[in-house]
Amino acid sequence: MMNAHRAAARLRLRLRRGKSAMALCGTVVAMVAMVAMVGCSRPAAPQPGDPLLDAIRAEERGAGHLTYAESQGKALFSHYCSTCHGDEGRGDGQNASNLTPPPPDLTVPKNVSDQALVRKVIAEGSAAIGRSPLSPPWGRSLTRQQIDYLVAYCQSLGRKKS
Amino acid sequence: MEVKQAIPVRLHVMIACLAVAFLLIFAWVLLREETAEWRTTQARFGRLEATVKNPHQRAQAAHVGGLRQIWLEDLGRVDRCTTCHLGIDDPVFDSAPQPFSTHPGAWLTSHPPDRFGCTVCHGGQGQATDYLAAAHQPRAFEPRPMRPLETIEANCGTCHRALDPPDAPRLVEGRRLIVESGCVSCHEIPGFEGVTFAGPALASIGYKVRPEWLRAWLKDPKGYLSQSKMGNFRLSDSDIASLQAFLLSQRAVAPVENPRVDWSKASVDNGRALFGELRCVSCHAVKGRGGTIGPELTSVGDKLRRAGLFDFLKDPHRSQPDTPMLQYRLTDEQVRDLTEFLLETYRTSETPESASAAYQDARAVALGRAVFEKRGCTSCHRLPGIADSGRVGPSLAGIADRDPDQLSYGKNSVRRTAENYIFLKVLRPDSLGEPSTMPTFSFAPAQAAKIAMALAGIRKADLPASYVQKRQTPSPYKPAGRFGELVDRYRCLSCHSVGGYGGDLSTVPFDRIGSQLKHDYIASYLLNPGAVRVSLEARMPVFHMTPDEATMIADYFSGVFLDDDLERYDAGAFTPQEALRGQELYRQLGCVSCHQIGTTGGYVGPELSRTGERLKPGWIAAFLAAPTRYKPGTLQPDYGLSSTDARALTAYLSSLSAGPVRKSGGAR
Repeated sequence: MMNAHRAAARLRLRLRRGKSAMALCGTVVAMVAMVAMVGCSRPAAPQPGDPLLDAIRAEERGAGHLTYAESQGKALFSHYCSTCHGDEGRGDGQNASNLTPPPPDLTVPKNVSDQALVRKVIAEGSAAIGRSPLSPPWGRSLTRQQIDYLVAYCQSLGRKKS
Repeated sequence: MEVKQAIPVRLHVMIACLAVAFLLIFAWVLLREETAEWRTTQARFGRLEATVKNPHQRAQAAHVGGLRQIWLEDLGRVDRCTTCHLGIDDPVFDSAPQPFSTHPGAWLTSHPPDRFGCTVCHGGQGQATDYLAAAHQPRAFEPRPMRPLETIEANCGTCHRALDPPDAPRLVEGRRLIVESGCVSCHEIPGFEGVTFAGPALASIGYKVRPEWLRAWLKDPKGYLSQSKMGNFRLSDSDIASLQAFLLSQRAVAPVENPRVDWSKASVDNGRALFGELRCVSCHAVKGRGGTIGPELTSVGDKLRRAGLFDFLKDPHRSQPDTPMLQYRLTDEQVRDLTEFLLETYRTSETPESASAAYQDARAVALGRAVFEKRGCTSCHRLPGIADSGRVGPSLAGIADRDPDQLSYGKNSVRRTAENYIFLKVLRPDSLGEPSTMPTFSFAPAQAAKIAMALAGIRKADLPASYVQKRQTPSPYKPAGRFGELVDRYRCLSCHSVGGYGGDLSTVPFDRIGSQLKHDYIASYLLNPGAVRVSLEARMPVFHMTPDEATMIADYFSGVFLDDDLERYDAGAFTPQEALRGQELYRQLGCVSCHQIGTTGGYVGPELSRTGERLKPGWIAAFLAAPTRYKPGTLQPDYGLSSTDARALTAYLSSLSAGPVRKSGGAR
């Protein structure tokens, strides 16, 4: 008799455990389904872009991956320097043939590797480093900021080739 | 017996729990404060400082600790950025990692932090003290995250509302495009007050252009002229037809034809020679090369009717009173040859000119008039009899402050910001899912981006007036009398300016021209304008002026456009020693790299062989001593000359006259 009671109780317990396990399983399945449904109802939308920023970056890439400072320097370079140094800094500007000694090729890394020297030539002229006076001083015409940009651009010219 | 009211056990437990929770929260708050991002950052900075600075420097440095902030009372801003960016104004940290590195460039000198703070230029949330809350990156519901460097110049525009800052070329380019494209015709744009834009006068267009060209133009202006300033209005075919009829009916001033002109004798070769001699390419491009003041001429033969062009070249001001085109002094035969050359050389189609009939259809003309009015054509093209509709586009005041979530983005998948909206609107006005009457200007994306950057700095009332730099609109210059007639006829102000009013193609404004150039030189130059700057592409036209006219202008210049400071210069007693010293300086400074004397020298700057006949000494000395004061952006370097040296150079240059060779400036 006792045995029968115990057996019945064990059975009930097992049933109950089974029930709770089933309930647990059900819950998990339901949650997974919900997550899946939520996921499905929102198809993976493309990340919203910043077209303005992309346009500017595309232009920077087109100019040869210049940093902000370098691209600023490039604009200054084409105004102040390119008549002699050439559009690409190769020393082949339209006025270069009138100059002896000719302007150096700035795409040769060693010509622009020394930042302090480049800065000095731009700000104080080539005479300041004991060379010919043909490259004039821009230190009084340009702001320090503008000279920083020019230095950065000149150095990027050497980097591109290396 | 007193009955002790028993406090239920439950309440005991609850109070205990609350106490524990309170203690936990308290401990958590303390811990959180102690380990706050900015505190750990400051601790890291302390360790970095110990490695970077020597003990002496450290002793001198102000003790860093606690929250730091810049309070800009008049802006109502508090910027706490310096709580973490601790090395921002100390060059020792030049190459330190973020957030400790020194501010690059000279920006903190030109924009002192105690007046401008950080977020005025960079954007972001100044009051925040951790990386995320400061909006270093864009995030949801954040109206003004920090700007990336690529577009930071947009923020310059908020204070530099009209004066173009020299270190913000993208902003400046965007503004140039706004002015050039005539945006101000349809939109009120703060900072552009006083800027005007006018398209060609259309009152006599019926006589001027070919009907088939007009139809194609209205359909797609860029198809004819890739540089066209007119956008594509996306007109329907029926609208185009009626607009075409309406425009062809505009025949206010009939072209004057000279019956004695024998077209069978027209010489294309003569015309070509004249085209070169008159320097038409200074203002008009052909196949992409040349000036931009006038329209490109590459296919002008497809566009114009012969009688109309003849009449226009003969006297441009009769049918188009506001054109920048000057009136040359040419014979009818010369005008005929030039007309023939232009129409025969610069054409793509062989179709002969057709007589136009459509404009007689009164119904189509009336419909076209309605289209003309409705689409706001009058904003750029004034027509007699049609009321000025004013600006048809909305005002752009405060456009950058518009709520990004209220704007329509169409099918574009973009982050919702006012500037992305502006960008898309400028690039493709019809792509934003709402009807738009704004024409498509076919800007390149980078151009549209720069325009959008220029507009994205236009905020409502963000800054006190003391921060905003405004432009002073130059007052119009309209001289009277005989001189005024000549200025009008030769359209001097299309290229030259007076007090900032006029064109900027020429490097010589009139303001002090009488103190710069000698009287006789002006008179002879006007009769035969030579090339003073050898490498310049844009050159002064050869007007075919009469000697009387040239003398009249030279008299006026030398009597009116004077600068007393330059006139007072004592040039009476240059000694030979001074001239010799000047010659030596000329060699030492390397002037030869840009200037030619005789046959040697570069051709960046003006040729100097006959400077003594050309320039007044007072001007030479003043310009050499301070070139950028007189010509901002000039390629003349500032050598920091002492007044003695400037005088010596002036003595030398003034001694140069009737030099061995002078490049003649005749026909090219």
